[in-house]
Amino acid sequence: MIRAIIIDDERLARNELKKLLSEFPEIEVIAEAANSSEGIEKIENLNPELIFLDIQMPGKTGFDMLAEMDRAPNVIFTTAYDEYALKAFEVNALDYLLKPVEPKRLADAIQKLHLQEERDSQSGTTMNFNRSILAEADQVFVKDGERCWFVKLSDIRLFESVGNYAKVYFGINKPLILKSLNSLEERLDEKIFFRANRKHIVNLRLIDKIEPYFNGGLLLDMKGGEKIEVSRRQTVKFKEMMSL
Amino acid sequence: MVNMRAIKKISNYWLCQFCGWGMVALSIFFFAYTFRQEISWEYILKILIIVTAGISSTHLLRLFIKRNNWLLLPFEKVFVRLGIAVVLTSILFSLMVMGLNEAAQLADNNRQNLDFTTRLLANILDKGIFIVPWVLFYYFYHYLEKGRRQQVDTLKLEALVKELELKTIKSHINPHFIFNALNSIRALIDENPGRARNAITELSNILRSSMQAEKLETVPFEKELNIVKDYLALEHIRFEDRLRIEYSIDDDTLDQPVPPMMLQTLVENAIKHGIGRQVTGGVVKVISDFKDNFHELIVQNSGKPSGEDNPDGFGLSSTRNRLHLLFGDKANFEIWQNGGLVEAKVLIPTANK
Repeated sequence: MIRAIIIDDERLARNELKKLLSEFPEIEVIAEAANSSEGIEKIENLNPELIFLDIQMPGKTGFDMLAEMDRAPNVIFTTAYDEYALKAFEVNALDYLLKPVEPKRLADAIQKLHLQEERDSQSGTTMNFNRSILAEADQVFVKDGERCWFVKLSDIRLFESVGNYAKVYFGINKPLILKSLNSLEERLDEKIFFRANRKHIVNLRLIDKIEPYFNGGLLLDMKGGEKIEVSRRQTVKFKEMMSL
Repeated sequence: MVNMRAIKKISNYWLCQFCGWGMVALSIFFFAYTFRQEISWEYILKILIIVTAGISSTHLLRLFIKRNNWLLLPFEKVFVRLGIAVVLTSILFSLMVMGLNEAAQLADNNRQNLDFTTRLLANILDKGIFIVPWVLFYYFYHYLEKGRRQQVDTLKLEALVKELELKTIKSHINPHFIFNALNSIRALIDENPGRARNAITELSNILRSSMQAEKLETVPFEKELNIVKDYLALEHIRFEDRLRIEYSIDDDTLDQPVPPMMLQTLVENAIKHGIGRQVTGGVVKVISDFKDNFHELIVQNSGKPSGEDNPDGFGLSSTRNRLHLLFGDKANFEIWQNGGLVEAKVLIPTANK
């Protein structure tokens, strides 16, 4: 059974989707929300495995809502006509549905969800929303201006502090998110993400080379070519971790 | 059409040729009449010969000018060539006159006893006087003609651009609205079949008028108002009690001409920025009345545009453009916000029936 929440500002649109979903016994709609703040509240309280999310809503858009959350749940977007929004969107959202939703497209989207579940259970990484620490397999939603990404934490090489923002390095992208490095550090798994210095958190799995540096420090060559200095204080800790 | 134009051109040319040379013939005739007073048939024949030779030689010159596209050359380039052409044409003209005179066995009156070269030179100076004004006239005519044609082309182009602009602006109906409406209607089919049936009628009306709008410059306000009413009724299905609608319409304004789909665009804007962004929704009010010599249309909505809202989005700039294209400076459009209210106001000069 997959527990799902529908987030859409229109009552009729929610009803219509619920009716379509009644054809799929494996999906249980446990709650509905009419805007982003209600949505966040219900997601945090009920920990659904799946959300159906409208993009254009009063107050905050669906994208803004996701960007605010620490961990992005499985999302199927529903929208009437958001050609531009969807283009801007560097996919790997589970899927998106255009309203009025075609039943066949909905079936495909749910099929995709099952496939993903299978893959996750094979690799032994299941989504669990009760943990306060983010796991490697968790995904985050990153929004920078017009562009959006779903990123698996395991794909992020580096967080860099830029004022009140953090720059997130993955693939060829480095968007900014409105989060401090300290708050990120609290939520990240310290076995994987290491605070190298005041300005950087690195993904230990994505280090290419380690070289000695001035004053007994270290220089990390990241897989993406970035060179990060490990402060003297953190070098001791780093060596301890690596020797384990 | 191109053919018709060419034919007309040719006849214009020949008209000028005959008139011009006719004038020449007449002036020679009058000159002779005033000073010599002896007009023999021989003399008339001589004039005829001059006219015939003149028309033939200048016609050859024209063919030559056209074949070599001299009309397209800039003035500096054509100046010298034209000088040479004038001299050559004068020689040709003179030779023709002399030859024809010879053939008709007419005496070259007072130049009888001169040798051929001298006679030719005298003739060239004599006849060249006609060729120079001919060329000047020919060029002047084409110069004017070119200017006129350019002006016509510019006007046509402007009209075309205007038409295209109006078309693109008018055919703009938000697809987001259409699909949302269809989605609501699908949900209504089970919940409230009667309302669903009405909604389909309303949506058809809007779609139909947005298609017809492309063909019309203005429609009676009543027609536009009906579309807006249908539109708001559909949005009310979507937003339910989050959208409140108010009208304040002076019935006398109902037959005033307005650009089609313009009020609709403003109302759509009000919904998108005023109602769609507010969690608690708001009010949209449509006002139509007369003010001085203007038909005043106002769309008000509650809510204030947030910082990122661009008050000059497509809807608003297109409204401004349309009014300008249709009414020039006589119409006015402005939008401002006042406290919790955003107001868009259009002033259109009243049409007197």
